[in-house]
Amino acid sequence: MSLLDALLLTALGTLIATLATVRTRWVGYVASLGLGLQLLVLFLLAPLGYGAPAVTSGLAWDLFGQPLVLRYDAMSWYFALITLGAGLVSSVYATGAWSDHYRAAGRSPGWLQFALALNVFTMLLLLASGDFLSLFIAWELVSWASFLLMALAAGPALKWSLRYITYATAGAMSMLAALGIVFHLTGSLNYADFMAAVDQWSVGLITLLTVLFGAGFAVKMGILPFHLWQAGAYAETPGPGMAFLGAISSRMGLYGMMLVWVQLIGLIRLIEVHIPLTFLSLRDVLMWIAAFTIILPTYTALKQNDARRLLAWHGIGQGGYMLMGILSASALGSAGGILHIFNYATNQAVLLLAVFAVVYRTGTADLNKLGGLFTRMPLTFVAMLVGIIGLAGIPPMNGFVSKWMVYRSLLSEGMPLLFVASVIGTLGTILSVYKLIHNTFLGQLRLEHEPVQEAPWSMVIPMMVLALIIFLTGFMPGIVLDWVAAVQAAVGLPVLPHTLGGVADAHGGLDMIMLVLVLFAGFGVSALLFYATGRSEPVHQLDNYAGGHFLSADVRYHYSDHFYAGLMHRIGHWYRGSFLWFESVVASLASFLAQWSATFYRLMQPALPMLAMAVIVLWMVS
Amino acid sequence: MEIGKRIADIILMPIVAFVIGLFMVLMLRKIAAKLQRRVGPPFFQPLIDIIKFYSKTTQVSHGLLHDIGIIMAVGGYLAAESLLPVPGMDGLSDKGGIITLTYFLMIPSLGLALGVGQCANPNGSIGISRALTAMLAYDIPFVIVIFGVAWHYGTTDLSEMISLQQAQGWGAFEMPLLALAGLFALQGMMGKQPFEIYVAPAEIATGPMVEMGGKYMGGLFVMQCFQLYTAGVLYTTLFLGGGTHWLDFLIKIFAVVAIPMMIAFTFPRYRTEDMLRLMWKWPVLAGLLGIAFVMY
Repeated sequence: MSLLDALLLTALGTLIATLATVRTRWVGYVASLGLGLQLLVLFLLAPLGYGAPAVTSGLAWDLFGQPLVLRYDAMSWYFALITLGAGLVSSVYATGAWSDHYRAAGRSPGWLQFALALNVFTMLLLLASGDFLSLFIAWELVSWASFLLMALAAGPALKWSLRYITYATAGAMSMLAALGIVFHLTGSLNYADFMAAVDQWSVGLITLLTVLFGAGFAVKMGILPFHLWQAGAYAETPGPGMAFLGAISSRMGLYGMMLVWVQLIGLIRLIEVHIPLTFLSLRDVLMWIAAFTIILPTYTALKQNDARRLLAWHGIGQGGYMLMGILSASALGSAGGILHIFNYATNQAVLLLAVFAVVYRTGTADLNKLGGLFTRMPLTFVAMLVGIIGLAGIPPMNGFVSKWMVYRSLLSEGMPLLFVASVIGTLGTILSVYKLIHNTFLGQLRLEHEPVQEAPWSMVIPMMVLALIIFLTGFMPGIVLDWVAAVQAAVGLPVLPHTLGGVADAHGGLDMIMLVLVLFAGFGVSALLFYATGRSEPVHQLDNYAGGHFLSADVRYHYSDHFYAGLMHRIGHWYRGSFLWFESVVASLASFLAQWSATFYRLMQPALPMLAMAVIVLWMVS
Repeated sequence: MEIGKRIADIILMPIVAFVIGLFMVLMLRKIAAKLQRRVGPPFFQPLIDIIKFYSKTTQVSHGLLHDIGIIMAVGGYLAAESLLPVPGMDGLSDKGGIITLTYFLMIPSLGLALGVGQCANPNGSIGISRALTAMLAYDIPFVIVIFGVAWHYGTTDLSEMISLQQAQGWGAFEMPLLALAGLFALQGMMGKQPFEIYVAPAEIATGPMVEMGGKYMGGLFVMQCFQLYTAGVLYTTLFLGGGTHWLDFLIKIFAVVAIPMMIAFTFPRYRTEDMLRLMWKWPVLAGLLGIAFVMY
């Protein structure tokens, strides 16, 4: 039995133990313990993250004459680390105070923990898949596990999760078609046979397979135009579940893209494919899709008034950076894209946990109904501040490093428009996350929030741990870059030479250790200057310049709604809901075709439906 | 670079920046005065103002974050100055180039935004909303300029750009369109007329400064010194070949700041949405054309 078997069996054991205790109060502890154990086993597999050869599972069997292979390489390990980290943090958060609150609302924390454990298990299985058949099976399992987690809250969640599963099924059909083509051409579903055959295939076939596989993965990832399900479905998922889904779940799509596009087909082949009548290659087209995936969802996030929706939309947008970095195919850019998976997962998790801590205390995530909570929930504020600095990609947090690498590679590859597009996305993120923290924690404290207290420790500790990771991996990005380099080597990308502080480059590198030290020295000097020059006198927030009026607590003057009025005056009419329109067109078209073909069959082949009915009746009778 | 020299640079560069920034503020006021046919302030007025602000007896704090915001605003600039090479001092310019500097310059803005938000004055929040929108306006042409220049010199390292320009001629002559777009973006970045609606210095009740007094205002004054200096040095580094020695360097950076000031004080003001339209049209067009010339 290899360590990989131990990992998968521990995950399965966690699932069973969670199911066994699902109705008890202990379920959260059981699930957290199980996830902790899995993380421990994953640490034993750590050599993978530093370039050790892949580990194969002893659990292998045949299905339809196809051997199913389970194996872990550096890429699987990297994704598994993020998955288990996010799972553990969410599970711990969902235990204790939060679960009591959830139970009091008439929901079952047990099923939430079970759904989390199930998601983790299926994702670990997906990461282990060593051939197309197991990839497809695990992919379906992941889809249905996410569906379970999304649908738990019922009500509007059900509508959104059905939308998700519709998209996911369509994506899976597209993958199945690709699988059929691959099997037809190579006679096997092995990765090795695929890689051996891919060099002889024509440009058209490569394009077809790229698009068919890509569509399946793009649905999960929320790449334009398959993104419409994501924000709503995630936002309706119960707190810690959303943190988990937001942090890592959709990145399984990216895992698939890296596997098929980068490792199996090879980006070189995609660069060779020229789109007729344009000067673009297939790779360029995909990069432009990534660029639009950065910009449009980010500016949709800017308009959201619900903190959960806002962050969910950013999740879609940040996926674009990862894809763009990886598709750049350079050592620096692809390292940036891969690093951003880790960085974004930490940022998004801490932000969502902070938002749900606010929801826990105030009962709302509506950005127009909060404000001034800094004085009441300072630790949650710190968590959110670290998260927004990271998500916006501002030093000294880790998000800056990965985005810097993506920008820098677009610069040295000479892609000006994509560079500008990715910076436009970052600027939009800065605007939007400031609105998030301003409307929640700054400004006027509402009268009804006067008695609000800091979130309980069971919720604060996971947030603080994540905030610490965000800062540390920003201060010393080399820790994660070691793993990233191993992933690059595993999928056949050029490997980035790096240092503990970042990237050494004669024409402009990055050394975060020095930069962060100097930044904090600057803050220190500035603080000295500030506090050495006289005492300041704290005043109540209502003691405020109000243009000649006296302010009182019952007057609401927090500037929150329509926060960027000037900007919206300019760009407001650019939001047209074109994708929603497109979605409704496709849906109408599909339903029309379905009705039409049903009618066609009834008229042309009246015997067929009757025969089918007879078979069903006979089967039910017998 | 040996460690002692580097540490000396990191300590000296912000001090130099502050002193030069004070002179720039003085120059700004003198230009305004001359254009408005006034005498203008005496030589030491900027310094006197800062001392006055910091020694006020009434220092109103709206909470911890108000203080931290000001500390971040000044501290961020103190750190950022060590990324900007000046004659004889390279500081940390090899550890993080132009992209890093651009993002470092967002730290003071973020600090200010947090501090103002904590004051719970809607007029301050409106100011921040406008300031961030303005940033979205001028940063787009600015990053186009950054791309063009960095591509042209094949580096993001500012000291390398300077030595390349000193060998082959100023960037402004090689990339005139980008230099023009950069000047436009610079005008917005400094928050001077006609793009000063978010600072709103003339009607203090509707800008970010509404709740700032005493050393809080003093901190912002210090920040302004750094801001002017950074804008001048950055533009000089990108387009005017940096400085071979301090004399020509100082002439260049003061000239760079003086030009926008002269324009500024003869112009009225644009609304936020008009600023967006203006910034996204002409400088972006010029910048993209400039990139096309540089690359092809």
